[in-house]
Amino acid sequence: MANIKIKGINNNLVLIFEEGRGEEYLQALRDKFSANPQLFQGSPVIFKGKGLNSLSFEDISQLQQLCLEYGMILNNIELNINRSYSKDLFIHRNVRSGQKIHSEGSVIIWGDVHESSEIISGADIIVLGKLEGIAHAGFYGNTRSIVFALNLCPGQIRIANTLSSASAEQDKKAKDPVPEFAYLEDNSIYIKAYNAKENLDRNQNLNWQ
Amino acid sequence: MEKNQSKGEAIVVTSGKGGVGKTTTVANLSTSLAEMGYKVAVMDLDIGLKKLDLILGLENRVIYDIVQVIEGECTLKQALVKDKRFPGLSMLPAAQTRNKDDITPEQVQQVCESLKEEFDYVFLDCPAGIEQGFKNAIAAADKAIVVTNPEISAVRDADRIIGMLESAQYNDINLLVNRVQNDMVKSGNMMSIEDLTEHLCINLLGIVPEDKNVLISTNKGEPIILNQRSQAAQAFNNIAHRISGEDVPFLQLEDVSFWSKLRGLGRSFLPTR
Repeated sequence: MANIKIKGINNNLVLIFEEGRGEEYLQALRDKFSANPQLFQGSPVIFKGKGLNSLSFEDISQLQQLCLEYGMILNNIELNINRSYSKDLFIHRNVRSGQKIHSEGSVIIWGDVHESSEIISGADIIVLGKLEGIAHAGFYGNTRSIVFALNLCPGQIRIANTLSSASAEQDKKAKDPVPEFAYLEDNSIYIKAYNAKENLDRNQNLNWQ
Repeated sequence: MEKNQSKGEAIVVTSGKGGVGKTTTVANLSTSLAEMGYKVAVMDLDIGLKKLDLILGLENRVIYDIVQVIEGECTLKQALVKDKRFPGLSMLPAAQTRNKDDITPEQVQQVCESLKEEFDYVFLDCPAGIEQGFKNAIAAADKAIVVTNPEISAVRDADRIIGMLESAQYNDINLLVNRVQNDMVKSGNMMSIEDLTEHLCINLLGIVPEDKNVLISTNKGEPIILNQRSQAAQAFNNIAHRISGEDVPFLQLEDVSFWSKLRGLGRSFLPTR
């Protein structure tokens, strides 16, 4: 059974997640909240503990949703989560119309991404082929995520909360496509030809400045 | 998938989009294979909107249908309609008064398995769409033929269907491009076969040219392959031979103008691509 401690620290309710899995936490919290709904109503909560590291973003957002349902205020500015393993997803086929790929890490596709398909990634999207579908990088808010493709002609690119759709004059049938990547700067999405001499890692770029 | 010697092969013909020529393809490939001497069964799975009996010209001989077989009202043998023109060909009709939810994928699988015992090829005529009817049709087959037209809407649907077939663990998916107009491809007003195969990335089984004779013979209820002069007939015959394992080169599509027909006559003596 999930082990959650609840402490009151500086007017905050601190939920300390010790050990357990997503659904167990959810059930344990729901039991605690429903036993005494008035107590939790309106209190600011903070998520803490090692247990969070093993949870997926989906699980955490479900837990947060539950807190909101009981009228609590989420007081975490940032969740400190240390992932010990990679959630990157490698796909060795074409992604076809109507298919949806979802990963919390980066998505790397050895193949084409056809139009009307969807790639959602918590980090970067890298397509070693033609990208025609919808690409959403940095799904959980990472504004430094990029979308890279050997032939970049997507229907739509989203990075974090910013959206950019294909312009009408965009030439979908470029004779000699060059590798390009899309990145976010000042709340706009820019597309640039990929140059190996420039550093693709936006994190490092920012550190140098 | 290895072909079992004692058992037949089940082939589903599907497309996603309606009106691209699934039923015409099933009718012509099955008659062509029957004429070659194989025992062929066709299952019409477009329950509620049956067409295969009309195109094969067997509508007057239908007594029982697939839903009655599944519900045990009659035996499979009683429901099968034998084509008198092609002794090897039998059709299992769809029910017009029922709908696709009245049967399940497992039931179709059972019927298909018993047909495979007796026939060399079992064709499943899939309805348009990706709902229950599609799921029923793809549950039983060993390989798939995806029919598309060289137009963007049909290609998108074909792409979706191929994705769903891949998810259903199909590894023998073949493309049949129907209603190709070579003069329009040449003038750049229609997608070329190269564009299509490059986009869809599956094995190209055959190309069938646009041909008015198809409509004429459909309305008569005779398969087009009986018409020796039709280009579409030749294309369907070639595809049937490819299904049976022969290596047949692709048809050189010619323009329909008079002069090109004359030139085509000369060219037909040259080896084809």
